[in-house]
Amino acid sequence: MAKDPMRVLVTGAAGQIGYALVPMIARGVMLGADQPVILHMLDIPPAAEALNGVKMELVDAAFPLLKGVVATTDVVEACTGVNVAVMVGGFPRKEGMERKDVMSKNVSIYKAQASALEAHAAPNCKVLVVANPANTNALILKEFAPSIPEKNVTCLTRLDHNRALGQISERLGVQVSDVKNVIIWGNHSSTQYPDVNHATVKTSTGEKPVRELVADDEWLNGEFITTVQQRGAAIIKARKLSSALSAASSACDHIRDWVLGTPEGTFVSMGVYSDGSYGVPSGLIYSFPVTCSGGEWKIVQGLPIDEFSRKKLDATAQELSEEKSLAYSCLE
Amino acid sequence: MLPNSLLQRLASWCPWLLRLTDEPKQPVKVLVTGAAGQIGYAIVAMIARGLMLGPDQPVVLHMLGIPKSAETLNGVRMELIDAALPLLRGVVATSDEAEAFRGVNFAVLIGGWPRKEGMQRKDLIAKNVPIYQSQASALQQHAAPNCKVLVVANPANTNALVLKEFAPAVPAKNITCLTRLDHNRALGQISEKLGVHVGDVRNAIVWGNHSSTQFPDASHATARTQHGEMPVVELIADEKWLKEEFVSVVQQRGEAVIKARKQSSSLSAASADCDHMRDWILGTPKGTWVSMGVYSDGSYGVPEGIFYSFPVTCDKGEWSIVQGLEVDDFARSKMELSANELDEERSMAYEFVSSEIDQ
Repeated sequence: MAKDPMRVLVTGAAGQIGYALVPMIARGVMLGADQPVILHMLDIPPAAEALNGVKMELVDAAFPLLKGVVATTDVVEACTGVNVAVMVGGFPRKEGMERKDVMSKNVSIYKAQASALEAHAAPNCKVLVVANPANTNALILKEFAPSIPEKNVTCLTRLDHNRALGQISERLGVQVSDVKNVIIWGNHSSTQYPDVNHATVKTSTGEKPVRELVADDEWLNGEFITTVQQRGAAIIKARKLSSALSAASSACDHIRDWVLGTPEGTFVSMGVYSDGSYGVPSGLIYSFPVTCSGGEWKIVQGLPIDEFSRKKLDATAQELSEEKSLAYSCLE
Repeated sequence: MLPNSLLQRLASWCPWLLRLTDEPKQPVKVLVTGAAGQIGYAIVAMIARGLMLGPDQPVVLHMLGIPKSAETLNGVRMELIDAALPLLRGVVATSDEAEAFRGVNFAVLIGGWPRKEGMQRKDLIAKNVPIYQSQASALQQHAAPNCKVLVVANPANTNALVLKEFAPAVPAKNITCLTRLDHNRALGQISEKLGVHVGDVRNAIVWGNHSSTQFPDASHATARTQHGEMPVVELIADEKWLKEEFVSVVQQRGEAVIKARKQSSSLSAASADCDHMRDWILGTPKGTWVSMGVYSDGSYGVPEGIFYSFPVTCDKGEWSIVQGLEVDDFARSKMELSANELDEERSMAYEFVSSEIDQ
């Protein structure tokens, strides 16, 4: 018996990440090869023609799983009945803009979209915020959509998580699928903390700790961290454009694992509403290690946190608290 | 049943044989040329996710770009690593043809000289012939035996012909060109006209050249309805639409997308590339055919010695032209028009063959 289609919203769909993401969704990469989807694509009026071009291409691709496409500039139409919402749209930082300006623009956008989602999305809609500042945009969305369960609003740190796995696999010369359980703590920004203290590698003699195999604490506590933190900038330098392919792919991973569950023994990183675990202030959207099952995420508890890590966890929490204050000041 | 060890060895020639083993598959090498461009960016993500060769087939990606694009190409390589894709076992990013083609089992040739404003067809051919001559050399010398090639860069059919002519050790049947995009567009238009899901429409045909003389033919297409599978010509019951608007919309769809997006189709082109290769290698579903540009054997009165898009089925890694389909006078005239254009392109191409390229 074929499954009922799920409705997936992508905002900012006429942009680069959207263009990379929609064919992945339409091919079942996000929700599984047997899950039909209806795509809702939202963008701003100046992008309406480009958005229609994307819709044309989706029709031209004759995807068997794609049961419909809604391309619109109307946020209500976009949000109606959606089961999954991937918020890629936001105000990008332009040259000369202060942090406060970027924050102010995005706070307005996420407040408005919160209302629309709350009023029109399907019950239990799962939300992933990608647009930066991702954690704070997600927080604003959560605050202004009080009837959306707080557990349903998340932000993307899976890209950083995947980048961390990639760096370790390259360092060790192993397949990336043999590396697991890195953690990205905190803000999807330069204060994120990529933590390998619980990461392992599958070897011919069983799972081994990454720290042991790499045997280079200086690298793990230094260059590894900064490489992952600054990878976005490195991509921009090489491509002259920001990451789209890897961002889209990671967004699919985030939703897929959330909806279909994480494999046994594996945890992933998600920006979620903090409940105070690990001494992180509650009331922030903070990236934690999580497992997923039955469509729900759960923070992995009880991992030992050393002094080095403690400082890092606190620094990124501090930045998020400041962003939260800044965001609220923009609302006044 | 052959032993696993023998199957593994034969699989370097025919990767599909590995499906008969119960071991995890060995990685295959897939080359994408023009990989720093837009279609390349879309397709490498799809390949690395198993959308071209199946979700259980690990791949090593070879990406070729011109020297000027080396930094961009490296950025793509970085992103592929950043995506932590389980199926991706390696990435080679290079501007060296030999390195790019070395050991590859599948090649998608997207790289070519793009059409610029004011360029005539003859100019486009002139620029692309030397490129495809050179790549033919690399293909013949360095690729794995039985490498399957899809030419995407325009003029696709004629680039494929040049490739075939200058790689005589490569079986002609292993070189194809893309008309699957037009085929998929045709299915899309029919599904929109009928208000049915595109997955319920099949067996359109795109005949001829991947150019404005292509002939999208719905006369043998069918659609699944509540009353069973029915001919599209009956369901649409509008001969004028089928012979005129349908044909011109599909022919000109590329321009319509450019007009809307201000850029040419990448998403749908990359997706069609994956469909073309997947069906070729893994086989077409029963009762379904697809369109592929292949080396003509004279079927349907099409001249031999050109690459022409035909309806094909695929099985065990081989394509074969669907024979015996009725072709009416209208179709015949359209098919001849496209064949004539391909003949002209072939003549033009031979004018520009360089005698300086090493064989």
